[in-house]
Amino acid sequence: MTKLKNWIVSNPDLAFAILLSVCVYGYFAMTNELFATHRTGFAIMERFAVLGLVGLALTLCIIAGEIDLSIGSNAALAAVITVRFTDSLGAPTSLMIALIVSTTIGMIQGYFIAYLRVRAIVLTVGTLMLLRGVALFAAEEKTVMLTDFRVPDFISTKMLGYFSPASLLVLAMFILVALFMNFTKYGREIYAIGGARKEAVAAGVSLKRPMIIVFAISGLCAGLGGAIIGLRSGTAQALGLQYVLLAGTVAAFIGGVSILGGKGGVIGAAIGTLTVNFLNTGLVFNVTPAFMVQLYLGILLIVVIMFQTGSRVFDESQRRKQILADTDRMAKLLTTRRQRIRSG
Amino acid sequence: MQPLLKLTNIKRSYGAIQALKGANFEIMPGEVIGLVGENGAGKSTMVKIISGFDSGFTGEYELNGEALHFSSPIQAERAGIAVAQQELSLIKTMSVAENIFLAGDKVPTFATKRSLSKMAKPFLEEVGLGHIDPSISTDRLSVGEQHLIEVARLLAHDPQLLILDEPTAALGESDSIRILDMVNRLAKRGKSIVYVSHRMDEIFKISNRIIVLRDGESQEPRQAADLDVNSLVELMLGRELNNMFPARVAKQPGGVPMMKVQDLWPDRFLERISFDIYPGEILGLAGQLGSGTGDILAAIAGATQTRDGNLVFKGRNFLPKTPKEAIDAGIAYCSDDRKHDGLFLGRPISDNLSSAALKRISTWGVRSDRSELEMVTENAVKFTVDPARLPQEAGVLSGGNQQKVALAKWLAINPDIILVNEPTRGVDVGARAEIYQKLRELADEGAAIVVASTDIQEITNLPDRVITIYRGIQVGEIALEDMTAAAILKEITDPFDETGLQEGQTV
Amino acid sequence: MTSATTTNNPNFVQRLARDHSPLVIALVLIFMAVCIIGAATAPNFLTLFNFKTIIRDAAIVGIMAIGLTFVTLSGNFFLLSMKETAALAIIAFATCMAAGLGFPMSFLITMAIATVAGAVQGLLIGLGGNPIVVTLGAAGLFFGIGSWWSDNLVVSFRRPHGAEWLGTGSTFGLPNITIAFVIIAIVAELVLRKTSFGRQVYLIGANRAAGRATGHENFAMAIKVCIIASVCSAFVAVAFSAQVSSAHVNYFSSEFGSSGDMTIMVIATVMVGGNSIMGGYGSTLRSSLGAVFISTVDNMMVLHGFNSGPRVLAVGLMIVFSIMVFALVRRGSRAEE
Repeated sequence: MTKLKNWIVSNPDLAFAILLSVCVYGYFAMTNELFATHRTGFAIMERFAVLGLVGLALTLCIIAGEIDLSIGSNAALAAVITVRFTDSLGAPTSLMIALIVSTTIGMIQGYFIAYLRVRAIVLTVGTLMLLRGVALFAAEEKTVMLTDFRVPDFISTKMLGYFSPASLLVLAMFILVALFMNFTKYGREIYAIGGARKEAVAAGVSLKRPMIIVFAISGLCAGLGGAIIGLRSGTAQALGLQYVLLAGTVAAFIGGVSILGGKGGVIGAAIGTLTVNFLNTGLVFNVTPAFMVQLYLGILLIVVIMFQTGSRVFDESQRRKQILADTDRMAKLLTTRRQRIRSG
Repeated sequence: MQPLLKLTNIKRSYGAIQALKGANFEIMPGEVIGLVGENGAGKSTMVKIISGFDSGFTGEYELNGEALHFSSPIQAERAGIAVAQQELSLIKTMSVAENIFLAGDKVPTFATKRSLSKMAKPFLEEVGLGHIDPSISTDRLSVGEQHLIEVARLLAHDPQLLILDEPTAALGESDSIRILDMVNRLAKRGKSIVYVSHRMDEIFKISNRIIVLRDGESQEPRQAADLDVNSLVELMLGRELNNMFPARVAKQPGGVPMMKVQDLWPDRFLERISFDIYPGEILGLAGQLGSGTGDILAAIAGATQTRDGNLVFKGRNFLPKTPKEAIDAGIAYCSDDRKHDGLFLGRPISDNLSSAALKRISTWGVRSDRSELEMVTENAVKFTVDPARLPQEAGVLSGGNQQKVALAKWLAINPDIILVNEPTRGVDVGARAEIYQKLRELADEGAAIVVASTDIQEITNLPDRVITIYRGIQVGEIALEDMTAAAILKEITDPFDETGLQEGQTV
Repeated sequence: MTSATTTNNPNFVQRLARDHSPLVIALVLIFMAVCIIGAATAPNFLTLFNFKTIIRDAAIVGIMAIGLTFVTLSGNFFLLSMKETAALAIIAFATCMAAGLGFPMSFLITMAIATVAGAVQGLLIGLGGNPIVVTLGAAGLFFGIGSWWSDNLVVSFRRPHGAEWLGTGSTFGLPNITIAFVIIAIVAELVLRKTSFGRQVYLIGANRAAGRATGHENFAMAIKVCIIASVCSAFVAVAFSAQVSSAHVNYFSSEFGSSGDMTIMVIATVMVGGNSIMGGYGSTLRSSLGAVFISTVDNMMVLHGFNSGPRVLAVGLMIVFSIMVFALVRRGSRAEE
């Protein structure tokens, strides 16, 4: 029991994320008997396949102290490319092309952010628009559609009850990225430049490498997510997928990432995404209009932020208490010293 | 035996200022050299040159007899020279082990947190932190322990030469002792250490030889055993001091204090402090780096948290809780870090000079360009800043001129009390004299000035009266007739006559 | 610790030449060439009517950008809730107008609601909350409130109504919305240059710690600038509503102009003008010019007959471009933070 308590104390944000997730799920499971079924589970995992990737990408960006506003446009571009070329080149090839394009875009962005010393939020405001234009161009302003809708069905075949090739692929990505972030030098560099950029650079950590890696992963996730949606629905719109930015950001924060950078992890990203998915699906089941979803997301975000701020304030006051306690201890020693001098 | 590192006839200039004028440096393997000198003597320039951060020098640089000229600190690190800066570069959100193995060739590409912790253990032992769990987050450690972790990180790269720049500045006693023990241990293992510090007691405890820098020139290295505090101070200070400081006159006893500071208790202080501030005087707060003199000023100015305290000032009993309150009451405060909160570097100098007194140049919220120009020109001239430069960004000024602007801006509020922490840090000699002159004039006009400084020369020759602080306690007060460098040093480094005690024997 | 450099302050061109001469100068020249060629070859570009169109198209985003600039200059980054504040305001205004309250009353109520919306965000930001996150949450909240209030339906009010003059009217041949843009731009610039409040914005943005040390706290500033930005959003909402005599929460969400997401356009406008995201550097004049600039690029594309795809591409390219140029220029100049 104490082991659990210790874990909660040393990982308060993750613990809170899990708690929130369970609460949201529990609420919907109780208020709607259709919610806690296998079929819903499958639907949630399908949604997870796309939103999870975005949540993962944004989690990584925020850990690195940046954010990728262009992720929606990048995904839309990948969707357009995938759908457009499936007829002529087949689904796997066009998927590959889309991934290469989106990852390269990410890498270029990461390079410029590091080289120009420009904040990602500023650059990606521009690239969001730029990529949208490219997508419009590639789609020739139309909604792109497959001629044969059965071609990509394979990615949605049900496996093991809740999963499909798409969601399994995404889970594999999660595991790979988690291993990367936790067990390699390059993953740690990403945490370093996010948590304390000046200190990291002073300590000799290069800025280019982790930045390029983070945005390359972001591009890859965006591309994969866009391609999956494109294949799954058989259509793609150049101006679509803009909602993923907000949903992904909320998922990242629910998962325990800190706006100051340097904190958070892949597990949190997964939990945050699941929570947002529970909320989405549950609200749809309760026949809530779409705009209310935004409202609830906003409220959820505010709750998480308040918790994070409260926990930070608590940490600060604990630290001060410790300093004062140390000082008091030294003061007692001082009296002893004075006495000793006098007598000795 | 040949020296590990030998620097000969090093000259380095920044524009018109000569930081080093043909200085020498040498260190043997396994030796601890204490590098001392006043502010502006060239210590930090020398450190930068040794560690490869500054390649723009002339002179000979020989490492193990081989002539080298590093163009980047990474090259110096690869050659085995590591420097622990005064500012920490730890990632507070990461664990101790992760901080030790952060960047560089020796860091493994693939590693679990546990394997890193295991690899970190020996280095933690070496710095005296063997009892710490390497997997805990770095922000859980005390500042002193964090400084030790920083050194542990350097040791992981297996350097031959380690430079420690003011390692105990922010440390309490027990942590400082840890650092000294570590230095001893490392020297015994054959590493060479350059120990740069203002703390005389530590320099004497730890160095084999001492090299003194003064005005860009170096003295011959002397055995620590051949020197004592007085002779060392004499070597450091030299003779120009008489021209720099305005004359002082012993103040008459009695008189009404302008402000009574009662039971002030800043966070790191061991007990409450009380003293009086008189109009027309310059009061000095003397203490080593980390003793808390700056905290006292910040507390009076409402810039930091305190546990207790009361000011009796202009008929009121209060303690400012924000800088704004202090300013409104007529208290001006200049911290020791002008780049952080003393200047708006990207704004014009005129903006800086009027920043504290916008109300006085505006009516109904609208600023009058003419009033502003009048006010800032007047104050600029008073502190000998060229008014023609007013439209320039404050960031292009030299250190001395920046400090003058940081001080001059307070003239605009007509303060009754001016609190200054380190009035001439990073300031060249010429500007120093100007600043001292101006502070004396302000005192003569009736203001009360309180100066906190770790510069021995300054704190001995500028104030009319000095209050001494040692590690968070008020030691005593020294009047003008007794004010010598030796007397002050004694009280701020060893008030309890403890240097007779062995290291590690403190309670 | 010794810093003894005395440098002369080089001017803009000298700095450019000194630091990144080949790259920056090449970029700037290419850019100017493209503009000139584009302008010269576009039919009807250099006509009065076209200029008026450019400025009118820039007005809506421009006014919001001016409001947002105050937030950015003061070092409080961005509000991500401009679009949703406008959505809430437009519903409020239309509902009041439909209820027969008349223009002055409806306007006042809308502005009051916007002030509250801004103050709440400013309060949280001033207390230390991160602007990105606070305004992201607020955005969802405001949108939800607006939707719920209007039941997600279109609210319309009949013509003639008291707001005709703002929406569709014109004076001296210029649409009133354009005049409003120009007036707001001038007033904002004057406030920044001539008032002590404006000076405080720059000081706090340049160095928050130094601002605090000289008696200027970010707490009050955050509230004030957030209110300014929200009120500007609301003003734009009212003008638009007056134009179409109706309102729906989604008016600002769908394709607005050719480039879609309004929040992104407003932020991009502020950045294109060359304002520093860290604060303390820039002006509302720059943002106004940024709005006109983007509008010009879009206009040129339209005149050349391009569809929305290339147009969005060109605008995006211009934005990225300006950001890069400003970043390169700034890299060579002042002291690093």
